[in-house]
Amino acid sequence: MRKIIHVDMDAFYASVEQRDDPSLAGRPVAVGGNPDGRGVVAAASYEARAFGVHSAMAAARARRLCPNLAFVRPRFDVYRAISAEIRAIFLSYTALVEPLALDEAYLDVTGCEQLQGSATLIARQIKQRIFDQTGLTASAGVSSNKLLAKLASAMNKPDGLTVVPPERIAAVMAELPVSKLPGVGPRTGERLKAMGITDCVELARADADLLRARFGRNGLRLKARAAGRDERLVEPDRPAKSIGAETTFDADQLDPQALLERLSPMADKIAQRLSTRALAAYGVTLKLTYADFRKITRSRRFSRPVARADELRAALPGLLEKTQAGRRPVRLVGMQVGSLVSLSSLTEQPDLFTRGVDELPPDGR
Amino acid sequence: MKFKVARLELLEALQAVIGVVERRQTMPILSNVLIQAENDRVKLTATDLELEMVTQFGAAVTQPGSVTIPARKLLDICRGLPDGADISLEQQEQRIKVSSGRSRFTLSGLAANEFPFLDDIGAGTEFDISQKALKRLLDRTQFAMAHQDVRYYLNGLLLAVRQDQIRCVATDGHRLAMCDVSHETGVEELKEVIVPRKAITELLRLLGNSDLNIRISLSDNHLQANLPDVRITTKLIDGRFPDYERVIPSAGDKLAMGDRELVKQALSRTAILSNEKFRGVRLGFEDGKMRLQAQNPDQEEAEDELEIEYQGEPLEIGFNVNYLIDALGAMDSEQFAIELTGSDSSGLLKEVGDDSSRYVVMPMRL
Repeated sequence: MRKIIHVDMDAFYASVEQRDDPSLAGRPVAVGGNPDGRGVVAAASYEARAFGVHSAMAAARARRLCPNLAFVRPRFDVYRAISAEIRAIFLSYTALVEPLALDEAYLDVTGCEQLQGSATLIARQIKQRIFDQTGLTASAGVSSNKLLAKLASAMNKPDGLTVVPPERIAAVMAELPVSKLPGVGPRTGERLKAMGITDCVELARADADLLRARFGRNGLRLKARAAGRDERLVEPDRPAKSIGAETTFDADQLDPQALLERLSPMADKIAQRLSTRALAAYGVTLKLTYADFRKITRSRRFSRPVARADELRAALPGLLEKTQAGRRPVRLVGMQVGSLVSLSSLTEQPDLFTRGVDELPPDGR
Repeated sequence: MKFKVARLELLEALQAVIGVVERRQTMPILSNVLIQAENDRVKLTATDLELEMVTQFGAAVTQPGSVTIPARKLLDICRGLPDGADISLEQQEQRIKVSSGRSRFTLSGLAANEFPFLDDIGAGTEFDISQKALKRLLDRTQFAMAHQDVRYYLNGLLLAVRQDQIRCVATDGHRLAMCDVSHETGVEELKEVIVPRKAITELLRLLGNSDLNIRISLSDNHLQANLPDVRITTKLIDGRFPDYERVIPSAGDKLAMGDRELVKQALSRTAILSNEKFRGVRLGFEDGKMRLQAQNPDQEEAEDELEIEYQGEPLEIGFNVNYLIDALGAMDSEQFAIELTGSDSSGLLKEVGDDSSRYVVMPMRL
């Protein structure tokens, strides 16, 4: 059995701002864009969350919900620096650290000998060291796989430490509505509900063939997750899944040429980010939000991984043609690359000890 | 405990063991160095629970005893005192007074009896080797060790001891370095162990070019090296090193030979415009010539051409230039050779006239 810890900083961006500006302490704070324009909330302090403010909400709406809300511009350099400090703490216990974002990570401490190998003690000490070094609190979840560790860290936020031992798994899953199960979005949630499945117990018991028919292989994965099973390993060097950029126009835009002009520097930025991480992309997605807030995406795949700005740019006019740009006013435009591969991964820099297909022995092993 | 010692003695002793002391500690006592004084000898011990280093020096001990003191602070104090100064250390309860001339420092210690020692390594294989020979083995291979790889058994160096030969092998999965030295070890059965990266780094830091022998002891779980002033004991990596002999290519049909220094310089300047992260350089071999070419994401480009000896069909092949430079940098012959088979197969680098070091490098697809 593995020992997995999920560490999640509490209201990370907002807490950093409250830490660095004492006048914000104890007040509802939103980190993000301009509430007078079309800014979006990137993070909300716990005080702000009490008013219903949450991340990804339009800043203007957040202010209507919470008139005393203090708006602060994000300082990503600061967040990144703190994130690196926290990561160094993680790495002093195990090399198996998988960051999910600046403010959360999975740790596999199965082979760790420190603190008698107790994942609970390690999690407690990590929380303490994060607090001592940064003045910020984190919540940690400890269990036997990623899914349970992540669910556990969310149970007693903020500043929580929750352990889900094997004998508690069934009870934890029983209390979880399917909509809270990672991998179940609003749409899957609705489709499950239509099948009469609303909690994880029902999902875990659901007929495998039926789930496969409705959701494909994902259906079987959901069934396993609903039972608290998760075989995913903690992958230290897992590359980003996607890299994207987007921008909201000051005034809705009808001219497709203007959209392309906005997208062009994004292609440069994305190519730059791919290059610094030595990644290339098999897929590119164009994202539009029309003036009526309806969002659409249009994607294409490349026959080989692409990393250069001009190659990304070349895909855009074709994608834009598949939208109603030019006929409907557009509020937001963005692009994203996905299906990323590492340039130094097996395909580009083959491994000495990985056998090629033609070297496999005849029994297929 | 109370003793007096010349600053330089204490400074050198601390510098010899400080590499073990991690900057970030999970157990406070691991930030400390253990000081044991008796019979006009003072012994310093530092550990990270995996690796333990012990050194000794002579001192005027007026009161025997043992304490642990924050290692980096003591080192910084020693560094900060003037050359030629004498330093006195005196234990007062849980505090240690460090004084020299009119400078006074009071450090807080932790109980010496809580200091964690590695287990006694027990009986096993022993052999002697000169510092110089061991240093050569490590210098020529250590750079290829993996760093925090999930394949934890690659985060170290394979030491293979035979009756008449010692071999070191290191690999990060993309390149491999191997060096042999002929040596009567008296070890009858092949003994293979994986020594962790940090122990290799610390050992290499202390090895000199002397012909004097040092003794290496190996048990199933530990390696101990007894240098003149320092004893290093490390846990071994418990794992199976990959079958490295399988990945050493047998003689390729294409052989290039060139001036090692000139080729290294050409690679280094071409590398300036390679992708900073993945460091690809394209090499083209044809009769009497080697072409080098690199390109970065900003579409900047470098090209170069050198005269070398080359036999075989023309070949284009891409490599991570760092791997080539590391291998060439570890050699000291004037001429080097690279054996190649095709653009998808690994290359084998050697010194011309000396087969004792071999470097396998996997190509990149550029």
